Amino acid sequence: MKAALARVGAVAGKEVKHLLRDPRILAIVLILPVVQLLLFAYAISFDVKNVPTVVLDQDNTPASRHYVQTYRSSEFFDVLGSADDLAQVDRLFDQNRVRIAVIVPSGFARSIDAGEKAQVAVLTDGSEPNSAQLARAYATALNATYGQQVLIEWADRQGLNPARAGSIEPRLRTWYNPEGRSSNFLIPGLMVVIIMIVTVQQTAVTLVREREQGTAEQMTVSPLRRGELMVGKLLPWTLLAFADMLVIAVISIWVFGLPLRGSAGFLAVSSVVFVFAALGLGLIISAVAPSLETANISGLLIAFLPAFLLSGFAFPLDSIPVPLQWLSYAFPGRYMVAITRGVFLKGAGFPELWPQLAALAGYALVVLLASSVLYRRRST
Amino acid sequence: MSLHRIRLIMWKEFLQLRRDPLLLRLIFIMPIVQLIFFGYVVSADVRNLATAIVDLDKTAISRELEADFSGSGYFTIESYPQSEPELQPLLDRGEVRVAIVIPEGTQARLDRGEIAPVGIVVDGSDSRTAAVGSSYAAQIVARMNADRITQQGLALSGPGIDARVRVLFNPSLRAVNTMIPGLVAAILMLSVMAIMSQAVVRERESGTLEQMFVTPITRGEYLIGKVTPYVLLATLQMSVVALVGIFWFRVPFHGTVIEVAAGLGLFMVTVIGLGLLVSLASHTRQQAQQTVLFIMMPMMLLSGFIFPIESMPAALVPVTYLMPLTWAVLLLRGAFVKGVGFSAIVPELAVLAIFAVVIFSVALLATRRRLSE
Repeated sequence: MKAALARVGAVAGKEVKHLLRDPRILAIVLILPVVQLLLFAYAISFDVKNVPTVVLDQDNTPASRHYVQTYRSSEFFDVLGSADDLAQVDRLFDQNRVRIAVIVPSGFARSIDAGEKAQVAVLTDGSEPNSAQLARAYATALNATYGQQVLIEWADRQGLNPARAGSIEPRLRTWYNPEGRSSNFLIPGLMVVIIMIVTVQQTAVTLVREREQGTAEQMTVSPLRRGELMVGKLLPWTLLAFADMLVIAVISIWVFGLPLRGSAGFLAVSSVVFVFAALGLGLIISAVAPSLETANISGLLIAFLPAFLLSGFAFPLDSIPVPLQWLSYAFPGRYMVAITRGVFLKGAGFPELWPQLAALAGYALVVLLASSVLYRRRST
Repeated sequence: MSLHRIRLIMWKEFLQLRRDPLLLRLIFIMPIVQLIFFGYVVSADVRNLATAIVDLDKTAISRELEADFSGSGYFTIESYPQSEPELQPLLDRGEVRVAIVIPEGTQARLDRGEIAPVGIVVDGSDSRTAAVGSSYAAQIVARMNADRITQQGLALSGPGIDARVRVLFNPSLRAVNTMIPGLVAAILMLSVMAIMSQAVVRERESGTLEQMFVTPITRGEYLIGKVTPYVLLATLQMSVVALVGIFWFRVPFHGTVIEVAAGLGLFMVTVIGLGLLVSLASHTRQQAQQTVLFIMMPMMLLSGFIFPIESMPAALVPVTYLMPLTWAVLLLRGAFVKGVGFSAIVPELAVLAIFAVVIFSVALLATRRRLSE
């Protein structure tokens, strides 16, 4: 046992030396996560607010100006200015300067005074579907509310009492993330993506490299057992993965004010299980891939893309086609994103999240077993 | 410059590719997988949000609210908790994303002609769901209020607003329509950079680069022979993506092939240059691969390909213009979705041309220096 430990230590020491001889890899493994974190925390967001809007008020009466004012006071529309004619509106759209145009034709005030429906047009640029969809919903709501207000004022003047209809007022509450900050939503998932990239990609590559350089054969004639070789090779990367995780967590909590509402212990335990699952995936790739390039691309396919797209990290999984939802269960990212987000934002712990942890543990077991079978087959 | 020698180098590259059958297969599986992921996952519209209704009123108006929400297609009513405290665990476990709380006495308030508050709770831990959920909730309630007035018979005689909300360019609002054009450029960058960056390093690692230069091959021939096979592969990949996009995902194509080809050609020169630069600056293939990841990550995230540029802070917007991918995505979207015509894409083409010339000549200079060492 002691000898085995010494051998594992020797392999780990060799791997660390490799790493130190190539400080650029080390730097990238440690810096890339921080760069990604900064990008996601500062740059990326799905918050659609202040969408550039132009107004073409052809009526130009107190009534139309009052109507336009409701757009100005809304948080969603950012009225940049007024256009002089339709041609200018077209140009602004073509140059991507505005996404929404509100057009009030002349006769707006006259129609309202006459008790008729006043027509307005709201144009949105569908080449950014996300904001266009929200714009459509907000514009519809805004106009319905405004129309009702106009009607009530009119009825008041007529001596009728429309207020007897009453009205429903939506009181919006956003739980878990009341300021609606995208970074709070993205960072817990980002940890998972980064760990997947670091562990899977690196373990896949480091073992294939030994084989390509022929040093793997040399090692099999040494007294090393296969298990010892693997543990030794993977140990430094495992530690690096945890270092990454810690760095991201510390920066997000202290710098970006990400709340940690749940149990840190549960998070730590889950992280260990998750890292094992990821290492298992990397081992499978290294057992199958004949060359470094193949290992790289397989790593992208198996680690990066599913972690990025099928984990629920940025793209909600509820609305994707059902076969892809099933597929998402085949990758560990999905379980871990539910855990990190639950612990950080919702204050959840073992009682709420044990199914995810159990799934992750089962997954790690299966993947590690499969990789050892594949390795045995390869070496015979 | 001898065509024969260039052909020989190309042949050698192809042979090397064929010796790793898994690699060749992966090169073709990659764009397909990305198409499926980006076409179905990233472009998925947020619909059928799992919703809970806490109905403490149990009157006609609460039934009407429920019917309007479930009829909109954006909300699927999944559970009916009896009280507000029961909501907490449902949202905690993520079983529902939205909850509607109808307080007791809502109908009575409305009957008295008062304002009746109704609670809409959205799960803010998923910001897209939260945005879509709250905007549609606002729309549904506003429509309901308008309908209620109509039922009173007032609206028939009274004024109102008849707003026509019209979507330009992409009237179906399908996200795939803007995702696929961006994907064409992104896949080009991914595959060319991933493979190009390895090409020269591999020869240096295995020592065959030196052997190459005791042969009569000139550096120019070597470079052309080395790059061409990957250019052909990338062109094939892009065509597959574009065709699948147009015929399977039914993405409209309003532009002309020449516009798209010109833009992509310039962009390809740029990424080949970038790949070469990485290859020259790296000593091992692992280094090259990590460096590519390091360059590609911010490019993908800041190009507006997945995450809209207009949601980024104003200070960062100039940075996005430094990414060649940003311009390629703009150009392709313009051609596919908007069909803006040649005059409108001149700025994009000009910027891409500048990138191509600058980056490729730097790469050429660096290659000459490096190879003559």
